[in-house]
Amino acid sequence: MTPPDISKLIVRTSLRDRAAFDLLYRQTSAKLFGVCLRVLNDRAEAEEALQEVYVKIWTKADRFAVSDLSPISWLVAVARNHAIDRIRARRMKQTGLDEAAEIADPAPGPEALAVAGDEGARIHLCLEELDADRAAAVRGAYLVGESYAELAERHGVPLNTMRTWLRRSLMKLKDCLER
Amino acid sequence: MTPSDHHEPELGGDEALAAEYVLGVLPASERLDVARRIDADIEFARLVEEWEARLSPLGEFYVPVEAPSAVKQALDRRLFAAAVPAASRDRASWWNSLGLWRGLAVASVVALALVVGWNLQPPVEETPSPRFVASLENPETDVRYLALYDEAARTISLSRLDGAAAAGQDFELWVIEGDEPPASLGVLGDADHLEVTPSEDLQGKFAAGAVLAVSLEPEGGSPTGQPTGPVVALGNLRSI
Repeated sequence: MTPPDISKLIVRTSLRDRAAFDLLYRQTSAKLFGVCLRVLNDRAEAEEALQEVYVKIWTKADRFAVSDLSPISWLVAVARNHAIDRIRARRMKQTGLDEAAEIADPAPGPEALAVAGDEGARIHLCLEELDADRAAAVRGAYLVGESYAELAERHGVPLNTMRTWLRRSLMKLKDCLER
Repeated sequence: MTPSDHHEPELGGDEALAAEYVLGVLPASERLDVARRIDADIEFARLVEEWEARLSPLGEFYVPVEAPSAVKQALDRRLFAAAVPAASRDRASWWNSLGLWRGLAVASVVALALVVGWNLQPPVEETPSPRFVASLENPETDVRYLALYDEAARTISLSRLDGAAAAGQDFELWVIEGDEPPASLGVLGDADHLEVTPSEDLQGKFAAGAVLAVSLEPEGGSPTGQPTGPVVALGNLRSI
């Protein structure tokens, strides 16, 4: 299904069109389940999160109309933010980094980076301009929702150092994307 | 860090907060504050959206995984069951399941039509060099495969350079085209050189940009038809 079709489905969902919502779910739930699974790394919790994500999409679909994001990016952002909120709440209760370490982190190799196509290529090139460990921190945070505390521990640096690293990396990324 | 690092500019203020929220690194309480602010402060909401847009291409690395059908059923109950009067709820769920079966019947007719349609299509014109390679890897694992797809021979030759599945587990190979769910190409045996012949209906998926991925699955392969374990290696096909 092409992006314009998904746009229409989201807009129709905002008008409480249940058939459009069903179709939207059919077209996009695999991708969003992939997001939830990746961040939460637990099937049962990801299934629960996926339901909540689509409840949000059903109730907040009208917000898509005022967003400049592509429909898939908008949906992924809803799913990511929800899954990250969930894991942040969960990790307050447990300190288990062991589980997080089991996640096969996607930090993609150069070949995989080319997957991204024209629109995505730029950010991957910009990430390549960063030091490898800093680029890995950005990707790790984005894809699996690692917190500052977890990143600091994994990279063996104090939390404030990690914050400085990331903020510098983000600055460089922004400059590079605007070049 | 090198001394020159100290002179590097860093993102600050609201811009940093917006980027950190999008990246997902903030603790729970701060995320809550930021979420409230997004609702109340249009300027700030715009900063957040700009960062969502900048980083969104990274989302392409989320591999689609088919969710169990029970999730959609539970979702429908959650969203729409309240609208049904309590007395007729049993009947409603009966109707829902009928609807589900009708949906499945329609889906299979559509699937059949697609298969028939494919068969009726004239053969795709061959490009001069219908061969693709992909290097499959993931820096977090030691698994590495080299894949070569020969369109004329319709086979994928795989060389395992490194890594092996633990006892009681198997590697499974998938092809992913755009945002389509992964399609299984089968379980990879424990050999360093393998040939895989994709079924007819998957042949069309092999093109430059398509992704090959290896996931870790229970022995015998994924029980669901979609990846259930971590992706231990992936790479995209490049034309050679």
